Amino acid sequence: MTDAATDIVRCPACAEAVVPGDAFCESCGAAVSAGAVAPTDDDTMPMELPPNGGRADGTTFSPAPGVADECLECGGDVLDDGFCSQCGKRAPSPRDHFRESPVDWVGGVCDRGIAHARNEDAMALAGMPDRSLAVLVVCDGVTSAPDSDRASLAAAREACAALVSTPLPTSQGVAATLSHWSSAISRAAATANAATIGVARSLGNPAEPPSCTFVAAVLHRDVVTVGWCGDSRAYWLPDGGPAVALTLDHSLGTELMQRGMSQAEAEADSTFHTITRWLGADSVDPTAETSSRELDAPGWLLVCSDGLWNYASPPAAVRAVVDDQLAAGHTTPVALAAALVRWANEQGGHDNITAALARHEPSLR
Amino acid sequence: MAEFTAEVFQNEYLADGATDAHAVVSVTCRGAGKAGEVGDAAEIIIVDTSGSMDMPPTKIAAARRAARVAVDEIVDGTWFAVISGHSVAQMVYPPHPGMAKMTSVTRADAQQAVERLRSGGATAIGAWIQAATELFAQVSAAQRHAILLTDGKIEGEPESALPQALEAARGRFQCDCRGIGQDWVVEELREIATALMGTVDIVAKPEDLEADFESMMRESMNRGVADARLRIWTPQGSEVLFVRQVAPTVEDLTARGVQTAPLVREFPTGAWSDESRDYHVAVRVPVAGVGNERLAARVELVVDDEVRAKSLVKAVWSTDTHLTTRIDPAVAHYTGQVKLADTIQKGLAAKAAGDDRTATVLLGEAAKIAHDSGNENTTRLLEKVVDVVDADTGTVRLKQHVEKTDEMALDTRSTKTTRIRREP
Repeated sequence: MTDAATDIVRCPACAEAVVPGDAFCESCGAAVSAGAVAPTDDDTMPMELPPNGGRADGTTFSPAPGVADECLECGGDVLDDGFCSQCGKRAPSPRDHFRESPVDWVGGVCDRGIAHARNEDAMALAGMPDRSLAVLVVCDGVTSAPDSDRASLAAAREACAALVSTPLPTSQGVAATLSHWSSAISRAAATANAATIGVARSLGNPAEPPSCTFVAAVLHRDVVTVGWCGDSRAYWLPDGGPAVALTLDHSLGTELMQRGMSQAEAEADSTFHTITRWLGADSVDPTAETSSRELDAPGWLLVCSDGLWNYASPPAAVRAVVDDQLAAGHTTPVALAAALVRWANEQGGHDNITAALARHEPSLR
Repeated sequence: MAEFTAEVFQNEYLADGATDAHAVVSVTCRGAGKAGEVGDAAEIIIVDTSGSMDMPPTKIAAARRAARVAVDEIVDGTWFAVISGHSVAQMVYPPHPGMAKMTSVTRADAQQAVERLRSGGATAIGAWIQAATELFAQVSAAQRHAILLTDGKIEGEPESALPQALEAARGRFQCDCRGIGQDWVVEELREIATALMGTVDIVAKPEDLEADFESMMRESMNRGVADARLRIWTPQGSEVLFVRQVAPTVEDLTARGVQTAPLVREFPTGAWSDESRDYHVAVRVPVAGVGNERLAARVELVVDDEVRAKSLVKAVWSTDTHLTTRIDPAVAHYTGQVKLADTIQKGLAAKAAGDDRTATVLLGEAAKIAHDSGNENTTRLLEKVVDVVDADTGTVRLKQHVEKTDEMALDTRSTKTTRIRREP
């Protein structure tokens, strides 16, 4: 969308002016069409998002954060003036709080939390209606670098789009599946890294370039493959069984524990949260580490930022919180994600919070 | 079509635990057009012709001239009638109970009829209001307005007549009230003007009546917006503390509110010309934690159920005392103006009751507020009743000899406010 006379590029969602070359609107976070994107170099992927997920096979892909149309506090309708029609609470901006539920078995909530002024977390989700494939990507912007909210959103969306447009593996075996998705996620992480560098370039390559963590999970039939860079996490929570962590933070905290500290001791250390890998122009190692797991029971795949796991880090603690929310009746992915975000806010909301979930239910496939 | 704008003045920051949001909403109307352009307009002129109007006879003569110029100002096509008010309400024009359409012919006939106004009888204002209500009911008009002139206090009808007549007339027409001379009762006319959303004023000298009627009727003919309402939404669990018009005059609208939806109340504001009116809205909202932002009120100007202007009153809780302790200048100004009107009225009541001590204190306080807020009109009116020794401290002495009409003018006009001096 371009003003013919002035060449001002405008956001297709909110009509705010967009910095030429930006892939996403700074104001609302919506994707700006290809026409607004600067020519790309070899080291960057095209920023145009594949239309409707880019797949002919029905995978849906939600292109932009939806505006919350119901009050997060009382459930009342939010009016055009941005305030709840019942309790008067101001609805957060679409960048500060958004929900996605591309299919009924995949959903997530990305929220500013309470203490931070901006939401630098980002999330992008996709899923097949037949429950054969889900893609969950979460990126956590590094607060010390300005504009990391833009970098994280670009990274998450580009990675998700790359994974969604990846052809399915040609053979169905577990080994073939995990091998296929491991390399796809590694490529998606490179794509996401290029996106963050693209954001930095559009900002004139600031000395402290915007950067973010990365975690992507692909649930393909009964195999989950995860790739990560930094301290955003994935957990597998089988019904009735013990939860397991699918990621191991790239952080000084992990290094402390590898040197023999207990988790509790390490988490008390001031360097615990210092990440050792991230995406961004100044990253020394933007590669994703991958892991995978064959799932032998129905259960929940959870991908989250540290805004959630700060309050429930060990798998057993995550399991307990999730079980509490399920018992309270929050049983759809997006409702469960919203409940987890609300719970983290009740614990203080000291960081941005993202919770993305896929419900693995082989019998419904 | 008339264009409305609404602007809000408030300090939205509330201290932790605070609950009361105050705001001044300034509503401006432009392009109102003329009365009768959208739906018919109707006008009734009620002239007191009781026996006292002949004492001196300059009063009844002035009333005839005033009625004549008022008829002149009524634009063609308007429904109109002239009533002679004494022990009963008597038709002057048209001759039989009903209303006429203004044309060059009916205008000339009405003016001839007005020339025949003679005085004699009592002052049964309740009966006059009742008659006007009945006449207005005979025409289908979007906008109904009356001018009521009297020179005396109500007599010759039971005490319940006026309240009953006002109850029946409320919402049916607006009525501007004028008292001529010094024998009428400010309280009575104020009661009528408040109930019927009109103005009240004193015309001390008969010779000033003509100009006053002319401008009153011209103003009415300039009210092209027949009926506008303030629609106020407040959140669940909140309480509307008050809704006041604070400019150009103080009028408490709180009791006029009608609940139209679970969280919505509407307050009639009558007809509008090209003008600005300010409203002070105070809402008690449920307390929210520091950092929260809530809407305390949506204030909308509604014409024919259509929202024509909207402004938002907010509440943001903060621990920053620099933010939370500041009182918005508009809110402070009008809080002072309301207090000024109240203090004057109480001071004059004390003086009338012979309590000079209380009267001196209260009128001194009023002199200080009027001085501090730059309300020069009220200062001038006060100076006719008291000698101001020191306006800064509110020190005054009651004058030995005060014209009764000066006291009545001060009382009547105490509700006229000055506008906040806005930054250029």
